Amino acid sequence: MKWLLFAWKNVLRNRRRALLALLIIAVGTAAGLIGGGFALFTYESLAEMTARDTGHVVVGHSAYFDDDEELPMQNGLSGAGKLTEKFAEMPGVRAVVPRLQFSGLISNGDKSTIFVGTGVDPESEFRLRGPQMTFVSGEVLSSPSPSVPEVVIGHELAKLMKAKPGSSLTLLATTTEGNLNAVDVTVKGIISVGVPDIDKRLVLTALPAAQKLLLTDKVSTLSLYIKDIDQTDTLLAQVKAAEPQLAAKTWLDLAVFYQSVKELYNRIFGILGAIMVVIILFAMINTLGMAVVERTREIGTLRAIGSQPGEIVRNFVLEGLVIGFGGALLGMIMALATTVFLMFANLQMPPPPGRSTGYALLVNYSTPLYLGATLAVLLVSGVAAWLVSAKAARKPITEALAHV
Amino acid sequence: MNTTISTSERVRLTGIRKRYSTGDTAVDALRGVSLNVAAGELVALTGPSGSGKSTLLNICGLIDHQDEGERFLAGIAINGMAEKQLTDLRREKVGFVFQNFNLVPVMNVHDNVEYPLLLLGVSAAERRERVQQALMRVGIEPYASRLPDALSGGQRQRVAIARALIKVPHLVIADEPTANLDSVTAAQIVDLLRQLASEQGSAVVVATHDHRMADHCDRVVQLVDGEMQ
Repeated sequence: MKWLLFAWKNVLRNRRRALLALLIIAVGTAAGLIGGGFALFTYESLAEMTARDTGHVVVGHSAYFDDDEELPMQNGLSGAGKLTEKFAEMPGVRAVVPRLQFSGLISNGDKSTIFVGTGVDPESEFRLRGPQMTFVSGEVLSSPSPSVPEVVIGHELAKLMKAKPGSSLTLLATTTEGNLNAVDVTVKGIISVGVPDIDKRLVLTALPAAQKLLLTDKVSTLSLYIKDIDQTDTLLAQVKAAEPQLAAKTWLDLAVFYQSVKELYNRIFGILGAIMVVIILFAMINTLGMAVVERTREIGTLRAIGSQPGEIVRNFVLEGLVIGFGGALLGMIMALATTVFLMFANLQMPPPPGRSTGYALLVNYSTPLYLGATLAVLLVSGVAAWLVSAKAARKPITEALAHV
Repeated sequence: MNTTISTSERVRLTGIRKRYSTGDTAVDALRGVSLNVAAGELVALTGPSGSGKSTLLNICGLIDHQDEGERFLAGIAINGMAEKQLTDLRREKVGFVFQNFNLVPVMNVHDNVEYPLLLLGVSAAERRERVQQALMRVGIEPYASRLPDALSGGQRQRVAIARALIKVPHLVIADEPTANLDSVTAAQIVDLLRQLASEQGSAVVVATHDHRMADHCDRVVQLVDGEMQ
């Protein structure tokens, strides 16, 4: 404790210089924490969005995820009803959602274009994926399905088809037997998912309508939803144990976009963090280096009295840690203040490439991140102090005492 | 070689030689100097500038090395010792008083005097007691909480003496301890150094230009061109 107090007093010896170093560390720490917090917020949002889109665990036929189909629904899942009941009983599962993926041509009588469709259970689908869909006009699909099937289509597709709620369109698709089949549908709603390329092709219809179009009773997949995303692997293990003949994947396995964004952000913020470390290192070397030069005779005196070089270095390292801790503490306060400010400021980021909607600018608080940043700053400060004082502490005592 | 050291003998230097080289030029700072100092003895090293006083003092105080010769401190042969061992010996057995006092400016008087005991790992209670006694003996107890900058030259040197003597060293090295003091204060400092060293049985080696100081010493060793006269 005495040594820490000694270090504290030495830090205060040149207050302006120590304050400058402390501010540099604080700004560096805050930048790292805000950048890291933003990355964490992005990861969390993307993970949540992806899991909402696909389901936390997706179950399909053993060949569904890896093999191409020669005919539609060749690798579809039979007995979806019984499987749904079985999965729904698993602990933590809050919904089991069937989906049937299909594609074909959509026509308004004047012109046709390609669509990518999904047969869904309207009630659970719009409840679970609702936050990702913005209704431009119209409503969700009716449940139960009316006699004339309904569709919800992307607003870019609606523009192309000159469709609005109540318009009639025709879906044309290949059946499971390889024949063409068509069904007339009514537009119930027009939505945007924020990605123009998807909005240009998107068609959602009730599962029975899609099955009727493809002449099948199968579904493509069953998506299992849970409350806690961290329990995904546990659920996956349960599903694999219960139905070993089926294939199951987690949202992370299917989240190519999430993984590439995470990889990109990790690199960007990793480089930012490295730059911050170098800035802090230079600031500390400058501050403590000047202190070491100014106190060379004092070092000689303490060495003559009986301090080992290691004890001299320890004193400077403690000084570095005092400045580093002060800077890290101030940086954490600045980062926390920014985090709270952004919670209330409601600032929006511009749409990322390939999307038509922006997203909230928020920064997550993370205890491990804050602890990690503090430890990193302390480590850098300690290393800087060691670097500048090790040589001076081993300088011949007579030379140190003669230093002017 | 067998060397018999008297139990009261604190320092023994035999045939000490020291040469400084600068480029092609070499200067013999000490040329075979021998010196014994007994416990409680106050020895003055005098001589003109460049005579080798400081070099001999540094070698005596274990902060410099001789090129030739032998040295003993409290009966312990110093030759061949590693730097760490030398530091440990200084920590335990050698006190220093410097011309410019060399007090740590951010430490108050109490903490400056306490510092050598901290290095020795003395308990907090014992440190408190010994520092208080040391400050009383040098007459600066009322200034215990003051920083060195708030003291006069004489008071600072008293603090330095208390710091040097608090660990009851075998040897005290004093380099021009009165050079920056007026004559009255200088006389007081010499008396104080002499009295405390005598009470504790510490040998004191003083390098000085000051004849008044030399007059108060038990023995005066005159150095000229690195040789004892």
